[in-house]
Amino acid sequence: MNSMPGSKTRRVVFQPTAYRGMQRGINQIVEAIRPTLGPRPRVVAIDRTFDDKMPELLDNGGVIARRIIQLPGRGEDVGAMFIRDVLWRLREQAGDGTATAAVLFQSVYNEGVRYLAAGGNAMRLHSYLEKGMQVILDHLTDMTVHVAGKEKLAQIAESICYDPPLARMLGEIFDIIGECGRLEIRPGRSRGLEREYVEGMYWERGLVSREMITDRNRLRTELENAAILISDLEIEDPRQLLPAIALCIEANIRSLLIVAGKLSDGVIAFLLANKNPEKFQAIAVKTPGWGADEQAAALADLAVLTGGNPFVRMAGHTLSQIKLEDFGHARRVWADYLNFGIIGGQGNPRALREHIATLRASFDGTEEPVLREKLLKRIGKLLGGSATLWVGGATELEITERQELAKRTAAVMRGAIMEGVLPGGGVSLLACRPALQQKLDQSTDPDARAAYRILIKAVEAPIRTILTNAGYDASEIMAQINLAGPGYGFDVTSGQVVDMMQTGICDAATVQKSAVYAAVASAGLALTIDVLVHRTQQPEHATIRAPSKRKRL
Amino acid sequence: MVEETEILNIVYSLATSPDFERNGICFAARSSGLYRSEDGGLTWQDAYASLALEVPLTTVAVAVSPNFEADRSLFAGVPGGILRSVDGGQSWHVASFPPPPPVVSALVVSPNFARDGTLLAGTMEDGVFRSGDRGEHWSAWNFGLLDLNVLSMAISPDFANDETLFVGTESGIFRSTNGGRAWREVDFPSDFAPVLSLALSPTYADDGLLFVGTESCGLFRSDDRGHTWTRIGREAVTDAVNSILLSPEFPAKPDLLALLSDALLVSRDGGQSWLDWQAGLRPEQGMASVVAPRGLGPGAPLLVGLTDGGVLQI
Repeated sequence: MNSMPGSKTRRVVFQPTAYRGMQRGINQIVEAIRPTLGPRPRVVAIDRTFDDKMPELLDNGGVIARRIIQLPGRGEDVGAMFIRDVLWRLREQAGDGTATAAVLFQSVYNEGVRYLAAGGNAMRLHSYLEKGMQVILDHLTDMTVHVAGKEKLAQIAESICYDPPLARMLGEIFDIIGECGRLEIRPGRSRGLEREYVEGMYWERGLVSREMITDRNRLRTELENAAILISDLEIEDPRQLLPAIALCIEANIRSLLIVAGKLSDGVIAFLLANKNPEKFQAIAVKTPGWGADEQAAALADLAVLTGGNPFVRMAGHTLSQIKLEDFGHARRVWADYLNFGIIGGQGNPRALREHIATLRASFDGTEEPVLREKLLKRIGKLLGGSATLWVGGATELEITERQELAKRTAAVMRGAIMEGVLPGGGVSLLACRPALQQKLDQSTDPDARAAYRILIKAVEAPIRTILTNAGYDASEIMAQINLAGPGYGFDVTSGQVVDMMQTGICDAATVQKSAVYAAVASAGLALTIDVLVHRTQQPEHATIRAPSKRKRL
Repeated sequence: MVEETEILNIVYSLATSPDFERNGICFAARSSGLYRSEDGGLTWQDAYASLALEVPLTTVAVAVSPNFEADRSLFAGVPGGILRSVDGGQSWHVASFPPPPPVVSALVVSPNFARDGTLLAGTMEDGVFRSGDRGEHWSAWNFGLLDLNVLSMAISPDFANDETLFVGTESGIFRSTNGGRAWREVDFPSDFAPVLSLALSPTYADDGLLFVGTESCGLFRSDDRGHTWTRIGREAVTDAVNSILLSPEFPAKPDLLALLSDALLVSRDGGQSWLDWQAGLRPEQGMASVVAPRGLGPGAPLLVGLTDGGVLQI
């Protein structure tokens, strides 16, 4: 008796039915993703006939997994949802590597189930799999090399997106902006790709009044050698501004940018009434950032960049206390309806370095994606420039998909520049076999030996899949690769055994390591699942879902 | 032999024609303008004569095309921008810069200028400007350049392949490996800055050797492209290092010259030991710039720009 009826709404499933059900679900998901691994991926179509739409064509493992909402069998569904969650999380975290993780997971799980069916201990196997995973991660770290130069970066990009024009463009962009640089990827108006480099830093806050625009052709205002009043104050009365303006005029400062939390209509009218670019010109923008934390961060960045002191409402600052040294300064300031920017901020370069170092340390010290993204954005701003990539295409769908691809590739490239790259095409994982074999030879514990044997087989899975997907006989090519030695792999495009790094076939180290971690740790955990408990009736909240949203393989 | 020509004000920079040995053409950038000599620095003429200026135009930097014999191009850094001549200084064109006008402090020309037409200008407050069209148009490229006060620049002799440049600033050193489009900070302690002078080995692409002269912390040498640094000449080099020159055969012939404000030091062993090169200055004279058109070997001429406007030929 492998399963027994439970209460009215529960059904409990024991081994070996539980493993078999989960295995079927895991295999279905992995087999759906497997064709997408490698430089010659095949496409997976997601049926959308319930929505009267054409099928969605996908070649990204994480998205394919995400589209599979439910499988018919209950045990299958548990397995499928388990790996689906692992792959989607990996995609969110690393941006790539889901297909590699899928085939690794499948290999570890299937071999693990076989071993457990023969009497192995799941908990001990899990423990040894994690130890073996660390061997792989350490070996990958040893193999990691750092890359620079637009050609190398373009090669990395191409190994991620398989779109040579996009890869070349991203190679050039990242060579210039660096791993922390600010890159905006927007839909283009032409069919091709275009890029623009923007000097200085800018924030998403525009002028408080259109009347402050002086260049009507370009719809923006530019100030030279401007002073900058940095604050989040709510300025209700023009008289509050008078001390600041008087100081500027006394010091022969002819341009002033006012950054404030709020300016009343009266204050704006006062600034407009006294607009005289020949003698003194003041423009105003609102404090950048949403919420107190973001605004405080923006004020701190502006202050360091321009050498000013911020006036903060919460600290009780008022402009009546302002001194000349409180103003920031910049060679150029610009503002339009949407943004304002600073070029040549005249803050102390040493203080700027220390500020960036602090932000980098915070970035390295946190795993929280939203916080990391915010910190990266701040660092990028302070580094002195940004790039915009316009992604064009023939149709809106093409533009959207290519834009998404560009964003994903850019995210992975940042990681690759920060943490280095590894030989691609599955070669780096294959190179972990000797280290695992050594551990296997040193082990006497049957569960440990099983774990290392499972991992030795698993690290071969990605390269075998890549070769099969490209239409080659995996066993024959693997023999050639083994003969060629370490670092060599098979370039499926040229059909040659080559030195992968020299040929520029490489993977971002952070992605490979994340894929290994996600696959092995999760598969090991899945192997410890001994009993499944199913609901026999759909809970109410689940039955509300419209049938058209449910996808089946 | 020491000869001195009477011209006035600080000589900020000197440049010689690549074929100086044959034609004796050299230029002196100084507070009162740009001067040209066709006899190896014995006599000087106003290179801005065609501009008929009413007031002297301070010129801080001058650079000559490596292909000067053919293209006659030279460039002068002045407050507000760069002047460009394509006839050896007979006539001048103003290069366009985005406002506000920058103060150019250093100029370097690509060794591959004949093909790539690339020049870079370091400025005070505005960072680095780059031109890819022989100096006609310029745009700022300051990605990663955290200090925009550029005091010195050096370009790799193999720039055509490695696209490497260094800039010395008020607070450190930055390196570009993409032709000056983006910069990364070099691991040089900022306490030792400002960096007044930089020099790369003629075989930098192979040996990764560079020298750095600071305002108050002496002279430093790096053998690994700027990753690690060793202070050299600790006893001898105690003043601001305004300029560093290397022998064209360095490191095979490890001659090295350091120009301090009041002394000219030479090392024949790559910086291990130093000798005072007696320039024969009067007590009130200081040295501001130096150029060695034929290297640092015995008997090779050395032009030294003085703080009183004179140019010595040693």
